[in-house]
Amino acid sequence: MIELSVLDEIIYYILRPEFFVPVIFPGLITSMILLLITIWAERKIAAKVQLRFGPLLISPRIGGLLQLIADLLKFVFSEIIVPARAFKALYILGPALLLSTSLLPLVVIPISTSIHYSLYVIGNNGAYVPIYVNFSLIAALALSMLTPIMVIMTAWATNNRFAVVGALREGFLMITYDVLLIMSAFSMAIIYGGVDLFGFVNFQSSHYLGILMNPISAFVFLVAMLLGSSRYPFEIVEADTEIVIGPYTEYSGLLFILTMGGSYIKTFVYSILFSVIFLGGWLPFSGGIGALFTVFKAIIILLFSVFLRSVYGRYRIDQALRGAWKLMFLLAIISMVLSFIWRWFLVA
Amino acid sequence: MRGCLLTERNRVNEEELKEVEIIVEPGQGQAELNIGPQHPGSGHMRLVAKIRGDIVEELVLDPGYVHRSVEKLCENRHYMHLIPLVERPTIIDSIHMNMGYIMAVEKIMNLEVPERALYLRSFAAEVNRISSHLYGLGILGIFIGHSTMFMWGFADREPFVEILQNLTGARITNSYVVPGGVRRDLSQSVKEFAIKAVSYLRKKIKDYENIFLNNPNVRARLENVGVISREKAIELGLVGPNLRASGVPYDVRKIEPYAAYQKLDFEIPVYKEGDAFARTLVRMEEVQQSMNMIMQIIKEIPEGEILNQRILKQIPPQRIKKWYEEQKRIVFPGYFASMRPPKGDAISRVEASRGELVYYVVSDGSSIPYRVRMITPSYMLIKPFMEIAKGHRIADIPAIYGSLDYFPPEADR
Repeated sequence: MIELSVLDEIIYYILRPEFFVPVIFPGLITSMILLLITIWAERKIAAKVQLRFGPLLISPRIGGLLQLIADLLKFVFSEIIVPARAFKALYILGPALLLSTSLLPLVVIPISTSIHYSLYVIGNNGAYVPIYVNFSLIAALALSMLTPIMVIMTAWATNNRFAVVGALREGFLMITYDVLLIMSAFSMAIIYGGVDLFGFVNFQSSHYLGILMNPISAFVFLVAMLLGSSRYPFEIVEADTEIVIGPYTEYSGLLFILTMGGSYIKTFVYSILFSVIFLGGWLPFSGGIGALFTVFKAIIILLFSVFLRSVYGRYRIDQALRGAWKLMFLLAIISMVLSFIWRWFLVA
Repeated sequence: MRGCLLTERNRVNEEELKEVEIIVEPGQGQAELNIGPQHPGSGHMRLVAKIRGDIVEELVLDPGYVHRSVEKLCENRHYMHLIPLVERPTIIDSIHMNMGYIMAVEKIMNLEVPERALYLRSFAAEVNRISSHLYGLGILGIFIGHSTMFMWGFADREPFVEILQNLTGARITNSYVVPGGVRRDLSQSVKEFAIKAVSYLRKKIKDYENIFLNNPNVRARLENVGVISREKAIELGLVGPNLRASGVPYDVRKIEPYAAYQKLDFEIPVYKEGDAFARTLVRMEEVQQSMNMIMQIIKEIPEGEILNQRILKQIPPQRIKKWYEEQKRIVFPGYFASMRPPKGDAISRVEASRGELVYYVVSDGSSIPYRVRMITPSYMLIKPFMEIAKGHRIADIPAIYGSLDYFPPEADR
């Protein structure tokens, strides 16, 4: 009989996915650190392309990494101005709701198989996921679609004209990228024959990676992801030279950080979803290393999506919508057909 | 659904504050969007866009935010003291701003300019044109969200600003052109630096084509946006690259050659389309033409004085010995400040980076001009901008703005 120490017990409870995933990894704390590193990396990559150094004044030895901490501190201590004509409750609640809802899909996305610690096997139904549901693909997409509502609500509460224009753009785009995300994700579900993400990764380990089976679907998902999280070339909602910063025009200080973080975290969550659906998630590892590997793949996708800033400008809203409905929608249908062929091929 | 403007109701009571205002004007569906003057995409100007949905129904420009009353100041300064003042409205295009004024003064004084000085004027002007066009293209890039074009434009402008610094001693406010000639001579090191800068930019132009001009995103944003037809362009009085992008081959350098342009081989790029993309291409090709001209000037520049003999004789011999013979620099003594041109008036035209720049100088025989009138090219863009923005989307306002290369301080003076 092996004795379990109190420390093991505590670690067990910390490592429970119900707490660990949303709060520590890859949830709030990790994604906040990642947010800083991503913005730093975005600035550094763009600087490399654009013949500059990027942030370098603070901590030049590590390439100005602490610049973002300094910026964060500056924002934290700056005054939060609430406009007299804003709807105060929603104005203050909005950014927090935006950030928390953009993290929300993590509770149903499995990031690894269950983790072995000491004598414990930590996980739900063999997956390292806070809530195991066998329709986790639908649940994750549905939860990710809460954020546009928060954006529109926030914009309305600030009572600014640029914010309202930005919110309208978000509303138009929301309808578009939701359809594309669902169609590309479902075309993968057709190959697998189910909507369970955990099962889908296991399916990929015994067959091929999702991106190899259906690259069209992966492309559509990536474009829809860029549309949905307002990254270049679809940085339409926050277009600074047109509508200042769209729905978040009136925000300052800490609330501004929350709104800005919300959009980056949304990209990160979509990247995790992309890595699980198309890149095999934790494969070829499992357990704790698997969870790290899922997030590692997601970070690559995240860095790719922020890198596009240095290649593209931004499309106009009507061009983005036209492209999405005329080209991307068609590609999504083709990817579905491709998936049916795969399904037929696999079953036969 | 109250639609009144915020300014009309400065005092609001608590009751009213509880209601959130919706921006739609009652019964019209038209809203007013106040872009600027403190806005990332407005420059130093206020744009009032009347929008219906995403469509701009009317765009009203409100220039004057950076008005510095240069014309009025000109009536209170000596002729020589005006040289640094007239270049202030467009500091990124200061050689042209200077040259136009000096050419008008020279006409009044009936001064001949030596051949070498004419070549040097053209040299400085073309270097300045390149740096100004790269600046404008960079601004256009960031207006449509293309940050790489912005950074490249500003970075590649640097060697040309450096040439001007080596030549004139200042990066942007050069005050290089003086009555009767130029202030400094072209040295061998400046020549070598200029050759290096030109060969660098010639290589770099290909990168510009790859990432900006042939970028599908940029083409989608600029093609068929802000189209000005040939007739409309003439009617609206467009000037410079914007006019040439609408299919009118009009360039003061060809039509009324000044400086050394008569002896230089260059073409003026003309496009028929008249859209924002054509305007961008015209600028890009003008940069290449300017580079050719710089190389030609370096090759063909004649030897000789850089200042008119009449002026040169009035400088004390010690100064000539110390500055001109040793360092090839003109340093005027203080009494030149009270230079008195004869009575009369003169008009001068130069092709500045943004188009035709007209100076009208009236002299009453004193050391202070009676009137200096400057018609700047950006000022000619206000009406066209208002006209062509109609019917476009909000997102097109910065694209049109950037493609016109409007420079607010130049228009406001």
